[in-house]
Amino acid sequence: MKKNKYLLLASSLAVLVLLAGAAIQESFLKEWRRIQAQGRSDEGPIPVQLRQIVNTSLGVSDRCVSCHVSMGPGEQSVRGNPILVAHKPVVHDPAEFGCTVCHGGQGQATEKADAHGDVHFWPEPMLPKNASYAGCGRCHASLNVPGREQLASAQQAFERLDCLTCHRVDGRGGTVRPGGGGMEGPDLSRTGLKGYDSAWHEKHVQKSAAAPEGPWKVSFSPVSTTDQALLKTYLDTRIAAPQLVAAKSVFFSHGCLGCHKVSGVGGDDGPDLSRAGEKDPGQVSFKEVPGQPTMQNWMAEHFRAPASVVVGSQMPPANLSQQEIDQLTLFTLSLRRKELREIYLPKDRLRAVKFNEREFSSDGATLFGAFCAGCHGEDGQGRRLPGLVSFPSIANPDFLASVSDDFLAHTVQNGRPGRKMPGWLKDGGLRAEEIKAVVAHVRTLGNTSQQPDTRPARWITASAAQGKSIFESICSGCHGPQGKGGQGPALNNKVLLESATDSYLVETISRGRRGTAMASFLEPSPVRPALTRSDIEAVVAYLRSLLGGKS
Amino acid sequence: MNPASFHKDALREFVDNLKTVPRRVYETAFRGGPPTTDRTRSTFVFGNVFLHLHAVRTHRWSLRWTTTVGLGIMSVSAFLITLVTGVMLMFYYKPFPEAAYGSIKDIHFVVPTGRLIRNIHRWAANIMVVAVILHMARAFYTAAYRRPREYNWLIGLGLLVVTLGLSFTGYLLPWDQLAYWAITIGANIAQSPREITDALGITQYFDPGGLQRLLLLGSDTVGAEALIRFYLLHVMILPLALAALMGVHFWRIRKDGGMVRPADADERLNRVRNEETYPVFTEAPAKTYHLAAIVRGKTSVVGRGPENTVPSMPHLFYAELGVMMLTLLVCVALALVSDAPLKELANPSVPENPAKAPWYFLGLQEMVSFSAFMGGIGIPSIVLLGLGLIPYLDRETEGTGEWFGGPGGWRLVRFSMVIGFCTPILIESFAIRFGWLREWFPKIPQLIITCVNPATILTTVYALFSIWCIRRYQSARAGALGLFTCFLCGFLVLTVIGTYFRGPNWVFYLSPSDWPKH
Amino acid sequence: MTLQPKPPRSRLDPEPMPRRDWLGLSGLWSMGGALLFGMFGMLKLPKAAVLASPSKKFKVTLPETLAAGEAFVPSGRSVAVFRDAEGVHAISTICTHLGCVVKPGAEGFECPCHGSRFHHDGSVSRGPAPRALPWLKVSVSGGILTVDEGTTVPSGTKVA
Repeated sequence: MKKNKYLLLASSLAVLVLLAGAAIQESFLKEWRRIQAQGRSDEGPIPVQLRQIVNTSLGVSDRCVSCHVSMGPGEQSVRGNPILVAHKPVVHDPAEFGCTVCHGGQGQATEKADAHGDVHFWPEPMLPKNASYAGCGRCHASLNVPGREQLASAQQAFERLDCLTCHRVDGRGGTVRPGGGGMEGPDLSRTGLKGYDSAWHEKHVQKSAAAPEGPWKVSFSPVSTTDQALLKTYLDTRIAAPQLVAAKSVFFSHGCLGCHKVSGVGGDDGPDLSRAGEKDPGQVSFKEVPGQPTMQNWMAEHFRAPASVVVGSQMPPANLSQQEIDQLTLFTLSLRRKELREIYLPKDRLRAVKFNEREFSSDGATLFGAFCAGCHGEDGQGRRLPGLVSFPSIANPDFLASVSDDFLAHTVQNGRPGRKMPGWLKDGGLRAEEIKAVVAHVRTLGNTSQQPDTRPARWITASAAQGKSIFESICSGCHGPQGKGGQGPALNNKVLLESATDSYLVETISRGRRGTAMASFLEPSPVRPALTRSDIEAVVAYLRSLLGGKS
Repeated sequence: MNPASFHKDALREFVDNLKTVPRRVYETAFRGGPPTTDRTRSTFVFGNVFLHLHAVRTHRWSLRWTTTVGLGIMSVSAFLITLVTGVMLMFYYKPFPEAAYGSIKDIHFVVPTGRLIRNIHRWAANIMVVAVILHMARAFYTAAYRRPREYNWLIGLGLLVVTLGLSFTGYLLPWDQLAYWAITIGANIAQSPREITDALGITQYFDPGGLQRLLLLGSDTVGAEALIRFYLLHVMILPLALAALMGVHFWRIRKDGGMVRPADADERLNRVRNEETYPVFTEAPAKTYHLAAIVRGKTSVVGRGPENTVPSMPHLFYAELGVMMLTLLVCVALALVSDAPLKELANPSVPENPAKAPWYFLGLQEMVSFSAFMGGIGIPSIVLLGLGLIPYLDRETEGTGEWFGGPGGWRLVRFSMVIGFCTPILIESFAIRFGWLREWFPKIPQLIITCVNPATILTTVYALFSIWCIRRYQSARAGALGLFTCFLCGFLVLTVIGTYFRGPNWVFYLSPSDWPKH
Repeated sequence: MTLQPKPPRSRLDPEPMPRRDWLGLSGLWSMGGALLFGMFGMLKLPKAAVLASPSKKFKVTLPETLAAGEAFVPSGRSVAVFRDAEGVHAISTICTHLGCVVKPGAEGFECPCHGSRFHHDGSVSRGPAPRALPWLKVSVSGGILTVDEGTTVPSGTKVA
């Protein structure tokens, strides 16, 4: 029976060896032990132990400080290895807020690959360094930002007016007072969060007038009301994260919200993006993505060529510059959201939650850029996208001349059933006053106001039967039999026929639409005779009957 | 007597007694003295509460490695390892959703030795499942279930069920995607009797499926209530049940005369030279056991000899300890090379795809993909029932204690393996290539699919084969050999298909690398 | 061939066995060693390497209206912070007797559990408390007050 004894001896010794190996590995060979052993504080070597930042209100227990020791509470002075050094000064002190709240990653982990999140089954790897501002989105999810043009002109105004002479913003500008005493003007990097004196201009004027000499006299002169409005836009968007604000303004200029919803506002043709930044790299295909398999690279490639990255994607390639791609990627990565206790709720989110404020500026230009530009083009000239019916030009002067604001507003509110245009009031989440602003902006795009029309909405008395034969011989070539649509848009659309006045329809047929296949039908053409006014009225009567037939 | 001197003597005695305390403690704890002779070895065994589950002497047949392959001890050892490591894990585990996941992360990353202990726990649990199944196969193939061990076979079946239950309840506790969706599926299998009651239209009056699910989850979704129930089952109810059943199982082994051995074991052993055995009872008994008056049949081994037994202490214990340490070695080694899985935090809105049960249930999951009730409850119940009936239907004696003993023997087992492997492969290939009834007749009633699906057809083929075996060899044992082998092979085939060949949406893929990403 | 050549022995005779079974003994000892080593390793487990409580150091913002001698207790902390002309100081409000939280009042501190009373400076005035309430380290940098619950300073240390 000796073999049993050999079995016992061999197994026991092997267990002993394995356990001893495990003990050595755990007690001596851990990476963080090696790093901490190099650490020195003012009092000498630091104790080698697991360290963590705990913030129960934020639900944070980050062991990142086991290696990045100096970022922990009260350990700013530890040095000895570049990994140990302190964070650069920030408002959100890592010793209080932890690391993962901004940077992502796996705070509970104590090994580098796990902690940085570059492992399977951890859906939220650390944000790359050049996209670290995306981390702000986790809490500051509702920053109010205008479109790119609006932001750029506000910034230009700020620089044109030489505010940077005295004030420092996002690390630029400002002068130190000669002879000490700090900066000439306060730092304006966070005015969007902390707020500022709304009567600043009057106070500047008073001080400037009272000062006999010096910077107040030299550097300030009164600012026009337009520029004041621009400066307000600029100051409202200073939240110490200029890259994120700029990225968001780009997002609001490409009409992305026309198809995608963010926080309940936007179209339904694409996926909801409210939490797009939390996409799990383990759940997407990197087959067509060059470079490292990171969400950043995936999104950048997706903006470059949507359909090659996501099979079956309908999203049109937007012909973006590299900078725009980077900015859109940054913004998409920032679409992440953390549930927060009240004391940590930032002001922007508080305003959105408590006072229903928007995260986009409610001026017509921004709204148009955010919601309409994707289909109707940034200048409103319409777009043709492969595989889709072309989107109408709404800046067309012929169109704007014949259409009323009510018609435009009605169309935006209710959309066109059966076509891509959704009803923006109910489904899209826009408010009536916002739609009004958009309509006003559309007017400025075409720079054309409606020609006065005193007639009632329905005044035509002509016979529909006569119109029917004219329509079938002349119009149905483009608009299809019974106005069902062909190359030209469908005309039997309920919302169209309900909201369009007779004058609008008559005017459209008479004037045509410049720049489209729709010519003026009062003029003859080689393929058809000219129509008379009464012919046109008969056609309109026929169009009206289409709705009656349907309903 | 002088009171003072009396006082003094008592004091001295007190001091002397105090001095001898350590020695006396040792003597009273180990009463027999060092186990160097047969007698002290015997006292050593029956003077110890744990060891006296063993007989004092062990037959040499039982000590051959090929008799048991140590599988029973391996199962117990794995259980003890999970018990100890499990108790350690309870120091940190928090049975509440999300907190549970965080606590597992803590155990992995910051708890001293936590990662190793969790890995050992996981591997020991898997080894226990394997060992228990193989142990049952060993008992079957050596016909160890026959008289007088029929009842212990039933206890063994109970242990198998509890072991699977323990392993499965442990699956939910990490509260990751893997756990959450496996339990969701498990709970719905518990609800699958509704497949029948719905088809009969009596669910609103009689709903055993809904009741089972409600009892399991304590709610209508997998949430905090389900987690605490699974935790309770995992750390309290099932371990206690297992320990109780184990106690009966061991005690029965001894009462049923130890390990099963062939009738001619002594002759076969004595062809081997051995110096440690000798007749134990050489003297004619001075008196007969009048105790026999209350005992029917033959009494104990009085006066019988010579015997091929050796003292259990130390021979049996070296074997047992050896297997135990080997099991521990395997667990520790596996724990050092492979971490226990932990996927993403459970997300009730994003189903894991594919959501796979623990590996030993993947065979069931494969059957479930045709009919939830038949695959998840019907056929497993039939199999358990069949296993339980075996000792009562096979009352033969031929081949007891021999591997693959009985009519047909190894040749029959080999042939059964061919049937056992080929049938499920053919049926599965057919179903994967051509679909099943629903694809051909979209309006077919569910009850027909419940009765006619690959799983039931497979069971039927196996049953017919078993009947053929009984007729061919004119032996119930042959039928059992055929059927058991077939089911074992079927279990293997289905488990392999479920593990390696099923991808997202339970679609068949030749290799996991072909799985699409979304 | 049973063991006939040897003379039959009685079961009462001691069985001759090797006095030193090196193989068996070393097997047993190494098993004991392995199990003991494993057990001592496991005993490390219950001693938590990191605690789930927030850092002992925290920032305090004192209200503008805080009068001299009036206690400010930051929410969630067992510390009373005072400000007077000489500066700021912080006193632990954990009773030195058995750890109840003492309440700052006009008379000093009083403990609700066993009736200990402390003067304004933390020294014991009556009751079972064995020691004065410790003063905690306060530091000021850049106008931000930081209190360190983990570090005590001699009574009377005030920071301007």
